[in-house]
Amino acid sequence: MEVGFDKKLLGLIPKIEKLEPITRITQMKDIIINNERFLSLEQALIITDSYKRTEGKSRSLQRAEALSDSLELITINIDDDELLVGNRTVGIRDGVVFPEAGISWVEKEIDTLPFRAQDKFSVRNKDKVDFFEQIVPFWKGRTLEEYINTNCGNEISAISGVVKINQKDHAQGHIIPDVKGWLGKGPLGLLNELESHKSINKDHQKAEFYESVEIVLKGALRFIERYAVLAKSLAEINSLNDSKQELMTISNTCNAIIRRPPETFREALQSMWFLFVILQMESNASSFSPGRIDQYLFPFFEKDIKDGELSLSDALELLEALHLNFNKIVYMRNSEGARYFAGFPIGFNISIGGQDENGEDAANALTFLILKAQEHLGLPQPNMTARLYNGSSDEFIDTCSKVIGLGSGMPQIVNDESIIPSLQRVGISKKDAVDYGLVGCVELSTQGNNLGWSDAAMFNLLKALELSINDGVCLLTGESKGFSAGALEDFSSFDDLIDAYKKTIDFFVNKMMKAVEFVDRAHAVMMPSPFLSSVIKSCTEKGLDVTAGGAQYNLSGIQAIQVANVADSMAVLRQMVFSEKRISKEEFIKALRGNWKGYESLRQSVIHKVPKYGNDVSWVDRFGTEWADYFAHSLENFQNIRGGRYHMGLYTVSAHVPMGKNVGASPDGRFSGSPLADGGVSPMYGQDIKGPTAVLNSVSKLKSNLASNGTLLNLKFLPSFFTNKEDREKFNQFLRTFVELKIHHVQFNVVNKHDLLEAQKYPDKYKNLTIRVAGYTAYFTELAKDLQNEIIERTAHEM
Amino acid sequence: MTGTVFDIKRFAIHDGPGIRTSVFLKGCPLRCEWCQNPEGIPLDPILWYFSSKCIKCGECVKNCPVDALTKGGQDPNYIEIDHDKCTLCGRCTDVCPTAALSITGEEKSTEWVASELLKDKVFYEKSGGGITLTGGDPLYQHEFSLSILKAIKEYDIHTAVETAMFGMEENLLKFVPFTDLFLVDFKILDNDKHKVYTGVENKLIKSNFERLSKKTENILVRVPLIPGYTATEENIINIRDYVYSIRADIRIELLNFNPLARDKYKILHKQYPTFQTNRSYSEEEMQSFNRFL
Repeated sequence: MEVGFDKKLLGLIPKIEKLEPITRITQMKDIIINNERFLSLEQALIITDSYKRTEGKSRSLQRAEALSDSLELITINIDDDELLVGNRTVGIRDGVVFPEAGISWVEKEIDTLPFRAQDKFSVRNKDKVDFFEQIVPFWKGRTLEEYINTNCGNEISAISGVVKINQKDHAQGHIIPDVKGWLGKGPLGLLNELESHKSINKDHQKAEFYESVEIVLKGALRFIERYAVLAKSLAEINSLNDSKQELMTISNTCNAIIRRPPETFREALQSMWFLFVILQMESNASSFSPGRIDQYLFPFFEKDIKDGELSLSDALELLEALHLNFNKIVYMRNSEGARYFAGFPIGFNISIGGQDENGEDAANALTFLILKAQEHLGLPQPNMTARLYNGSSDEFIDTCSKVIGLGSGMPQIVNDESIIPSLQRVGISKKDAVDYGLVGCVELSTQGNNLGWSDAAMFNLLKALELSINDGVCLLTGESKGFSAGALEDFSSFDDLIDAYKKTIDFFVNKMMKAVEFVDRAHAVMMPSPFLSSVIKSCTEKGLDVTAGGAQYNLSGIQAIQVANVADSMAVLRQMVFSEKRISKEEFIKALRGNWKGYESLRQSVIHKVPKYGNDVSWVDRFGTEWADYFAHSLENFQNIRGGRYHMGLYTVSAHVPMGKNVGASPDGRFSGSPLADGGVSPMYGQDIKGPTAVLNSVSKLKSNLASNGTLLNLKFLPSFFTNKEDREKFNQFLRTFVELKIHHVQFNVVNKHDLLEAQKYPDKYKNLTIRVAGYTAYFTELAKDLQNEIIERTAHEM
Repeated sequence: MTGTVFDIKRFAIHDGPGIRTSVFLKGCPLRCEWCQNPEGIPLDPILWYFSSKCIKCGECVKNCPVDALTKGGQDPNYIEIDHDKCTLCGRCTDVCPTAALSITGEEKSTEWVASELLKDKVFYEKSGGGITLTGGDPLYQHEFSLSILKAIKEYDIHTAVETAMFGMEENLLKFVPFTDLFLVDFKILDNDKHKVYTGVENKLIKSNFERLSKKTENILVRVPLIPGYTATEENIINIRDYVYSIRADIRIELLNFNPLARDKYKILHKQYPTFQTNRSYSEEEMQSFNRFL
């Protein structure tokens, strides 16, 4: 093979293109997806016993001992055909009860868990009994959740209409650990390093921290060793030669990564997977994200390929096994959470492509192999993110487009050209900013050195507007929310309204910050995380737990919800009420108070006669920009308790639905309680009638620089865009322009038959669905039903 | 100067290279039985009604000063428009809360059109795209079309003109210095059939094509495949032989049949032709048509 000048092994791409799905992986995939899920109490019982044993020690040591005990005692097994071993439960996708953070919802919902509409879990009788007899009584008064409720519950609920404070009943996730460091040193290397830090930092608290880290790292080694032993003993009793050999390989791999850092691709993948399993065992949190796996795994891949130790198809098989594993761990949410985040988005977000520190295209053969795995599997995890920049190759973009066209919504696309400068703006070095990855869904983070606390809170700007024009009174409950800057009737000009809105935002931002600070502090008290601290840079140097500010970067992200509804509402108020005076202020607020009842004609005018955000209309888009700016700047007056900055995100993922439930009828024509615009910076559904270029132009007017915590834009396309090569080429050009426009993020939903049937039923929500034909364009919802049916049939066929 | 525009569509991706914006200009001398934009044929604006948007509030009927509107008509024309009475005063479109009534065809200035087109400049630059004048037929309002082309060329943006070439030769040739691509429609080569189905003979079209092809090589011939009309082996081969006899390097593209225009005919109280088939051709069928080229 010619690899002399091909540092990134891109010459392998044609061969990667041809790789076929792997039968064994497909079979395992079916098992994983269709496996019955159970609630799992095993770790909760181990932790409870451990806490009883360590009663009186600091929380940090108790947490460390509890993790160490779990690593020592939890039942382990190796499934048939498994290539990369390790799980935190014996059952695949079991729902782990995690008492340290909070279990009040499990107490309420344990009986309905097997029957709820989304993400069901079966519950064994014994577990239910144990839960009520052993877990519930012991943990009364000992959980993070109760700590926060007791000390700050009132403050949090007083602002709950406008502000949703997060991280109240689970440990910190949304973090990219230092996988590169973990692979480079191995747990043993980290332990040795600890010794040298320890000798410098000798005060009591630090000593306790180091002790905790030592306990968990030793536990980690023990855990891996248990798999080595188990694999060996299974090999001994296995009569099939092939299986025997595979089990011995597993055993040898595990033994190797205990003794030394990984050297082969397989060892690296296995080691990395153990890291994520153990992080989950420590925290049971959403979103420990692997980051740029195509970068840090490449040296292992490259070496094995060059040495002839690894064939491309074997490499793909291992990668696909990793993809499968990402689906084996799920995060059990309460019914409300499951309803909006169904399908277990646990946030194994991997970021591929982008640029390296020299500004060169970072995409390598492994990048393409990862895309191939996504093409074959199309599973909910990993959440795949492709980084684009001006220097991305046509080949990379086109491969991404092909995979997007398969309809999994992945990879989502993010933009180096806007993200890197925005991260630098909040104090991140150029080198770290260039090496960013995504966590969870769309949150931006550096790798291995950052407690980004991406989801500290969500601030409902539309609710704040409601209170600003209704005397501080909630339209849903009639209850006063503690602050009034007047009502619509009182404002003699649009400027008065703007003043009132600013005052309302300021009031709630101040209150929010107190609550956010408290929750942050509560994590340091109740959820110290020594294992995580061992893989976040500068914690062990400083001798400080990650929850207490040990990380190199300490940000806090707060989301502004939702640009489109604010811009549209402001546009309507200004044009119809203050400028054209089509309707009086009194009449307008009356319509809102009555949820548009008796005012349907007015509501329709509001929807159709005033231009909306997403159509490239400057004066409307400006409202979105102005209020996002105002909010972002208002956060800058504060510093978080870990010494870091607050910054803004513009995303809700699925929370636009529950957030909408909190808001009464809004000036943009929305009914009380109905969903807000989706995503984060997307236009209100159906309102973007000028096509996707206009949407991108509108979104690009937002200062993405100020949204350094991340943004989310959803766009819909018909499948024909991706199957037809010429159309796909235009789609690729569209992506290049997206990069040029400096928008952080876009995700593509490929419209399917179901969507079109919905569009037939609810034309208002799908007004933007355009059917594109040469020399002719029509909106789907304007077609007669039989013509719509024709398109539905065709679309179904294309899928 | 000003002209009558009935639509501007951004992210047009089938009317020339790259990502484009298409301007639909009113007025066309042809009367093709299958026209997919029949509202673009007359130069004058028309009041246009979309039943799917209508909430049947009746405000339009109440507010019409000349009683041109009545309600209670048959789907899709719950609101019946008497186009003879309608003065296009715009009262009804102003009071219609859902924009179910709109006037298709508005008088717009060159500057206004250009500023709309420039909004997607960055997309054109990144994709090698640009703008396309279509219609109707841009040759019908040739002075206005020319003014748009000139305005856009100032910004060094790629321009395309889609035309059936039925107009004065000198007007067509005036476009040449400002047009990077002519998308010329060739429907039927047989002159008699052309007259029957499009209302005009094709002698002028042919002579214009011949003249144009001497002035520029940037021509793409497009043949709309209309079942039972143009989509025959004989017609396609005839067009091919004819085009290649003029210039062998001109590309020919077959456009798939678009059955979606039917409702427009109902709205306009026009008879929609009965086609052999009411669906677009499948990929396989398109391939077999393409074999004739």
